[in-house]
Amino acid sequence: MMQRDLTSLTKRELYEMARDRDISGRSSMSKSELVEALTPPPTEPHEDNDPEVEVVEDDFDLDGIGSVPLPGISPEDRAEARARRTALEDRLSQFVDQSRHCSWTSIEGHPCGLPVLAGTVRCGLHGDGSIADRPIPLTGSLGFSSWPALWRHLTLATYDPDAFGLDPVVAEMTWSVLNRLYYDYFRVEVEGIENVPSNGGAVLVANHGGAAVPYDGAMLALAVMNEAEPPRRVRVIGTEIFNMLPFVSHLYRKVGAAYAGRDDARELLKRGHLLGVFPEGERGFMKPVWEAYRVGRLGRGGFADLAQDAGVPIVPVAIIGSEEVHPAVMVSKRLAQLVRLIFPEQRVEEIAVALNPIPLPIRWKVRFLPPVEASGDGEPIDGLEQLERVEDVRRSIQAALDDMLAHRTTAF
Amino acid sequence: MERVLVTGAATWTGGNLIRRLSQRDDMAVFAVDDRSPRIRFDADFRKLSLDGLDLARYILEVDPTMVIHLQSVHRTSEEGRRASSEDRILGSLGLFGAIERLTSVRSVIIKSDTAIYGASPRNPSVLAETTRPQGKPSRHQRDLAEMERFIGEARKVHPETVFTTLRFAPIFGPNVGNSISRYLTLPVVPTLLGFDPRLQFIHDRDAVDALEHAIDNPIDGIFNVAADGQMYLSRMLRLGRRIPQPLPGRMFDTALRAMTRFNVPAPDHLKGLMKHGRVTDTTRMHEDFGFTPTHTCRQTVLCGYERIDTNHDAT
Repeated sequence: MMQRDLTSLTKRELYEMARDRDISGRSSMSKSELVEALTPPPTEPHEDNDPEVEVVEDDFDLDGIGSVPLPGISPEDRAEARARRTALEDRLSQFVDQSRHCSWTSIEGHPCGLPVLAGTVRCGLHGDGSIADRPIPLTGSLGFSSWPALWRHLTLATYDPDAFGLDPVVAEMTWSVLNRLYYDYFRVEVEGIENVPSNGGAVLVANHGGAAVPYDGAMLALAVMNEAEPPRRVRVIGTEIFNMLPFVSHLYRKVGAAYAGRDDARELLKRGHLLGVFPEGERGFMKPVWEAYRVGRLGRGGFADLAQDAGVPIVPVAIIGSEEVHPAVMVSKRLAQLVRLIFPEQRVEEIAVALNPIPLPIRWKVRFLPPVEASGDGEPIDGLEQLERVEDVRRSIQAALDDMLAHRTTAF
Repeated sequence: MERVLVTGAATWTGGNLIRRLSQRDDMAVFAVDDRSPRIRFDADFRKLSLDGLDLARYILEVDPTMVIHLQSVHRTSEEGRRASSEDRILGSLGLFGAIERLTSVRSVIIKSDTAIYGASPRNPSVLAETTRPQGKPSRHQRDLAEMERFIGEARKVHPETVFTTLRFAPIFGPNVGNSISRYLTLPVVPTLLGFDPRLQFIHDRDAVDALEHAIDNPIDGIFNVAADGQMYLSRMLRLGRRIPQPLPGRMFDTALRAMTRFNVPAPDHLKGLMKHGRVTDTTRMHEDFGFTPTHTCRQTVLCGYERIDTNHDAT
């Protein structure tokens, strides 16, 4: 570059150039010193009529930037970096090939443990053949002995999450912990698992409760993972509050839940996933204990529309237990206002307060009810029909809850 | 003889694109930027301010048949530096104004950014080209949206001209030094406590390839350009052996301001990205645009951190 070009630049720009060329002592230089330091030695051929046009040297390699001295990288550094990369790739392949720590088998009967995780997924909305779309029965049954191997996968990022952010390894680790809750603490009993289709999409609609922690989402997912043959994942969808809360925001995605946006839900169904929906939403979640097991309005019934669009059945699910583990003794709007003061982004209408910090050891029951098929022609249903279908679902869940409560001898 | 006008010639992407184009016999390249290029190329370079009138006059003077608009919003917008809104967008206003007046322009390629989708908890998990952004837009996002509106107006005037808008994911790789890659390659990276965004990148060489592909295959439309796959930030930093420093919101802001002092510009859309992440749908890029990046997201990240230029490696 010509000297007069350089003098026309500001000192800041000169400093940036000097930094890129790694000129030492640049921070203490004045502008004229910077210009001097940046001016190339006079041997360079720069004779041209138009000072703006850059002359390219003859021996300049135009094919790539390779011969241009990159800031701060000497050829030795480059060779070292390459060696480091090769070593890293070697280590990666070593972990990818090793399968002795894991004994995951797919329903096709071939081992689809860690090697399956090695693929890279194209991020598309139109079916990406991702790991999460493949039927890998990761049901938390691996136990803690496999955690070192899983942890290495985590740290080396040997695989990609699916389009919705499901990370099979984090999911595996989380589900194996939650399975202790499922088997030993809540002692979940499952009825009517045959109503869950063994392949293809379906919308599982359940009553919602919890007041503090949405255990019912996890237990619904685990019920299908543990009891269904073949095991299947349920992609539970939640409101945008999950996206806003620290720590929850990424964990809920990694374990396989998704955001309850229309695009996401439709796409999950299109890919043949089981969609877990709690259409009562926040109102159901914040139910006080005296309203427990009274199924409220199922939102606007968007799930019926979704199921009809995708041509998949709706499976109503009645869950006993979720509405008692944290019995809410009061529902406060004041508290919600306080929360909104601290987190102005959050849309919280009211907050249920439970007095027990640890969940009560309620004996859970999950009953899957006979599916409501989408009407045959696959045409979109009108508003009235949608409301009727939603009301049918609500009534069947309510009836099942009443039945289960009537036949229950003890809650614990 | 194709007369190609390229704005943003001083960027790494621009410089490399011009070097490739200037090798072709059937193209005369006119490069424009408001600072001197660091990468040398054999083309007619004119240094002029990118705030409207100068650029428009120069375009009318050159009378190009193809315009490649790489500096579609001013870099003060990309880097979040203080500048009036006019400065950030006037270049595009002038450029599209000139294009509306000219009749010779056959195709226009615009480099946009996936930052146009913003970052909101209500955004879908995968953003398609048709997705409407949710939530309060950042300044950079507004600039991009306004710039893309100019495209729509120019398209109305010249319906026969091909307008290719490429929305690039953050460009990462061994060569570039844009604000996001400078931030992510710090030895200690400040992150938001409790948030682990899903990120998507495009390798710097793939970005140049994508632009060249757009020149060779003029297709009208908007396309997301991103590498296959996606990365959680935590995974990415582990892969690059960088130390994440989780900070709560306010302290994160302070850290970003401190970074700016050390010449790592922290744009205003960075916090949203570090909170909610951004993953785009690349189906249209693969199927309609017909371009497949050579590097996956994971390879891009590895190349960027290890400073390995794979093109150089291959030879």
